[in-house]
Amino acid sequence: MSQPRKKMSLSKKHSLSGWVFLAPATILIAVMSFLPMVRALLLSFKTGIGANMKWAGIYNYTRMFQDKIFKTALVNNFLYLIIQVPVMLVLALILASMLNNKDLRLKGLFRTAIFLPCATSLVSYAIIFRSLFAVDGFVNNALIHLGILKSAYNFLGHPTSARIIIIIALIWRWTGYNMVFYLAGLQNIDYSVYEAARIDGASPMQSFFRITIPLLKPTILLTTIMSTNGTLQLFDESVNLTSGGPANATITMSHYIYNMSFQNVPNFGYAAALSYVILILVAILAFFQMKVGDKRE
Amino acid sequence: MKFRKVLSGILAATMVLGMTCMSTSAEEEEKLTVWCWDPAFNMNAMYEAEKVYQQDHPNFKLDVVETPWEDVQTLLTTAASSGDLSTLPDILLMQDNAFQKNVISYPDAFTDLTDSGIDFSQFAEAKTAYSVVDGKNYGVPFDNGTVVGAYRTDVLEQAGLTIDDFTDITWSEYIELGKKVLDATGTPLLSMQAGESDLIMMMLQSAGASLFDEEGNPAMVGNDVLTSVMGTYQELVTSGVMIEVNNWDEYIQTMNAGTVAGTINGCWIMASIQTAEDQSGKWALTNMPSLDGIDGATNYSNNGGSSWAVTSNCQNVELATDFLGSTFGGSVELYENILPSGALATYLPAGESDAYAEPSEFFGGDAVSAKLTEFAGQTPSNNTGVYYYEARDAVATAIANVIAGGDIESEIQTAEDTVKFAMGI
Repeated sequence: MSQPRKKMSLSKKHSLSGWVFLAPATILIAVMSFLPMVRALLLSFKTGIGANMKWAGIYNYTRMFQDKIFKTALVNNFLYLIIQVPVMLVLALILASMLNNKDLRLKGLFRTAIFLPCATSLVSYAIIFRSLFAVDGFVNNALIHLGILKSAYNFLGHPTSARIIIIIALIWRWTGYNMVFYLAGLQNIDYSVYEAARIDGASPMQSFFRITIPLLKPTILLTTIMSTNGTLQLFDESVNLTSGGPANATITMSHYIYNMSFQNVPNFGYAAALSYVILILVAILAFFQMKVGDKRE
Repeated sequence: MKFRKVLSGILAATMVLGMTCMSTSAEEEEKLTVWCWDPAFNMNAMYEAEKVYQQDHPNFKLDVVETPWEDVQTLLTTAASSGDLSTLPDILLMQDNAFQKNVISYPDAFTDLTDSGIDFSQFAEAKTAYSVVDGKNYGVPFDNGTVVGAYRTDVLEQAGLTIDDFTDITWSEYIELGKKVLDATGTPLLSMQAGESDLIMMMLQSAGASLFDEEGNPAMVGNDVLTSVMGTYQELVTSGVMIEVNNWDEYIQTMNAGTVAGTINGCWIMASIQTAEDQSGKWALTNMPSLDGIDGATNYSNNGGSSWAVTSNCQNVELATDFLGSTFGGSVELYENILPSGALATYLPAGESDAYAEPSEFFGGDAVSAKLTEFAGQTPSNNTGVYYYEARDAVATAIANVIAGGDIESEIQTAEDTVKFAMGI
């Protein structure tokens, strides 16, 4: 019953070469990224100290409802998210449309200056902010000399001010990064659209809200999802700027997961379960943002 | 074609050379890899130990790799959880507080040294206890962190006080004296890092108390010593005798810049104090204050310290144990050599050496090492338990909340709940 071997059709050939080109990247992503994710999922159903793990079903997932520190961390993360992301994105949008002005001089200089913070290392900028806001740091000294403060205020020692400083630091670090996306998006909007609007008598405000924002919507959606994701996984600022303190007032979920795995008695099962909670949160938020932001059918 | 021949000749030569190299290294084989973290302190001690051991073993070689403690812990956790121990060195230095946790979490990663021939009875018992799990010795004791009270005598003088006024006192006396110094000079006596529980743990151990009971269960609620410690800490802050800073750099800066008139910490803090060379001769050492009205309260405690562990990745356990046994566990000469770097021996015979009686100019001509050895001998032992770091963090959170106006009893209750939660695996 042997059939004569047929030659491959042209379309089959094409799709085969497509698969061959895709294969290396697909395999690498599968092995380096998806396999660990599956292993972590399995791990999240186990419990135990260090190497002595045993199956525990959904115990880790039910356990976290009693975890006070995790709840604090969750609240902190959402606080950063709700305050920092909108402020940062609005600032980035304003800066981008200001720097998109054709007649602006030294455009390159301003763009570089605003983008530069995100080229600095996460650890070093956190340490610089820490020393700026230290009790005998620059900010305190400046405020005392200006007569605004009588004696030095321990910014990082009080829950509210410590949180505000983390938010300020994040805005400083990431506004420029998002601005670059908006600038790139703005290049796709033809200048003649603005010119036409001006001839029709539109004010700069009107053209910002009626032209820039609608045409930038895909970019705004992208930056929102990226910032949400980044904020929920926030780690360096919490570790280096405040060490999660005072009294866990600024600790983030990722920082707590790190402590759980490497500082305290290693409990990787529970840490993996917490990591999956972050993943689910990011997925849900991204889903809603896509629903709200993307009106394409 | 000629080029090819030359090339193959070179390749063949390299291969032969490579093989001979391998065979020679197989012959020597007296090489050990060590992880530790401080070039001026424990790494230096390892280099000195290498020199001592080389006197009898000329082929012996150490490869000391500078690895900060946080990295040692991360690398150890990663290697042991993945089950691939081949990345570990032969010997690593471990913080005493993390010893129980690591050995219990990863029992297969460490070598039992009980019957290795090292004489553990020559070490201070309270110190050896950190590295004993289920009656088995897993570590060779290295340095200790006997607590010292270090004071600026020139500042005390302005308040009409001397170092003797701070010797063998209680915390309530300390606070009274501190107020006097504050009134006279405007300088607080003490600084501490906010959000850290070092001072609390030192105070607890000075009365022989711990956050855990003998069975390893948290014992915070109803622990009179802990309540007294929290109250004392709160009073230190509210009276202005102690200032809180946010991080380690600021803490060191308060001493070096003279913002405070003293400190209380493990004796390794002396290295940081001595970096301010202009303050030479202005410092003096004594013991720490004791808790008021607590049975078994002493003026002695411990903060920090580390021990050497042999990993299961060590291919030559005999060499490693012989090396450790005849240097850190048997050579007074080694401890004399490393004394200038501030490495205070827990190896008892070393304490009788003449080197320990030499005066220190920086600390007003006092025989500092002999004094510290004497303090170390009177320090009550403490029970770290496996969940030491969880308990420390929980207590640090509690004290931060107490300082911010929280109630001591309910904060201790919360701390115990947190630790119990962490233990509920």
